[in-house]
Amino acid sequence: MNEDIHERALQLIDKMQVEGLTAEERDEVETHLESCAQCQRRARETELALRALRSAVPRFNAALALRTQMQVRVRAREIYENATRMRALWVSCALSWILGVVSAPLVWRGFEWIGHRWALSRAVWMTGFVLFWVVPAVVAAAAIAWQQARGAVTSDE
Amino acid sequence: MNAVEQEAGEVARGLRRRDPDLIDYLIQQYQYRLFRYLLMLTGNREEAEDLFQETWIRVLEKGHQYKRRWKFETWLFSIARHLAIDLRRRRQPQSLDALLQPDGTNRPLELEDNAAHSAFEQAFQGEEAASVATALAHLPPSYREVLTLRFHEDMELEEIARVVDSPLSTVKSRLYRGLATLREWLKDIYV
Repeated sequence: MNEDIHERALQLIDKMQVEGLTAEERDEVETHLESCAQCQRRARETELALRALRSAVPRFNAALALRTQMQVRVRAREIYENATRMRALWVSCALSWILGVVSAPLVWRGFEWIGHRWALSRAVWMTGFVLFWVVPAVVAAAAIAWQQARGAVTSDE
Repeated sequence: MNAVEQEAGEVARGLRRRDPDLIDYLIQQYQYRLFRYLLMLTGNREEAEDLFQETWIRVLEKGHQYKRRWKFETWLFSIARHLAIDLRRRRQPQSLDALLQPDGTNRPLELEDNAAHSAFEQAFQGEEAASVATALAHLPPSYREVLTLRFHEDMELEEIARVVDSPLSTVKSRLYRGLATLREWLKDIYV
């Protein structure tokens, strides 16, 4: 029974530091410590160990902070420039798409005229029209994908 | 909205804008605490310095993910920890099984590091620096980590659990074991 009381007090001594105690537990441990030299010593060792831990201050190299600030600024600049490039690419894609839609009837007639004039089959001049529409979009998509992949690689580096 | 929430809100807005001036300020504000955490986590000064720089770059890149309901330091330490795990995986590749404890919790930093003692001895200053260095070198990194979050950073247990990405019960168990080991190693220094 006596062992249990000590065991409980030792648990509460650790709990006080790790989780904190309820008012009841605090009363219980304080009452016990008043009359138990062994547990008092344990409580003191715990406090001193934590005091030693807290007193250990790492030497910090101020140049590291300055270097880091510089690197962050360089990276921020890269991200900004990359975002600006991507924005320009998206805007030009959007403009070319709008232009393509608006000019589609005219381009269709143009291909149809060329088809008649050069006596091409319907399938040939229609294929030409589709390629005229698709190729710029594919090139733009490839350019965007390439830019994004490049951005990801730079970020990993 | 209290002052802490207001500040967290300003930090969140600044990070979304990727404001380098704000990050300069945050580096100044958190430099010692982040470095101490990384040093305790890795037991290696060079690694801690590399990770320090990587962490702030990551803060810049992933700043939009910071939510004002979190304390900034909780998010910051969590980023630093993930980078430390990635670095260890790159340098000492091992199977995923080896990185996990039997209880399934994440334990990727439990790697023996013989240089830890000299790293701590060189890094720490103070009256008991040598004794503390010896004690810390004998602690597993996961114990050192929670001890520093609890007793240097005064973090709540729930916050620590979020940083180390482990259940509360694991955090408590590491704290109790870490405290017992630390006490055992330091009990003679004041005699």
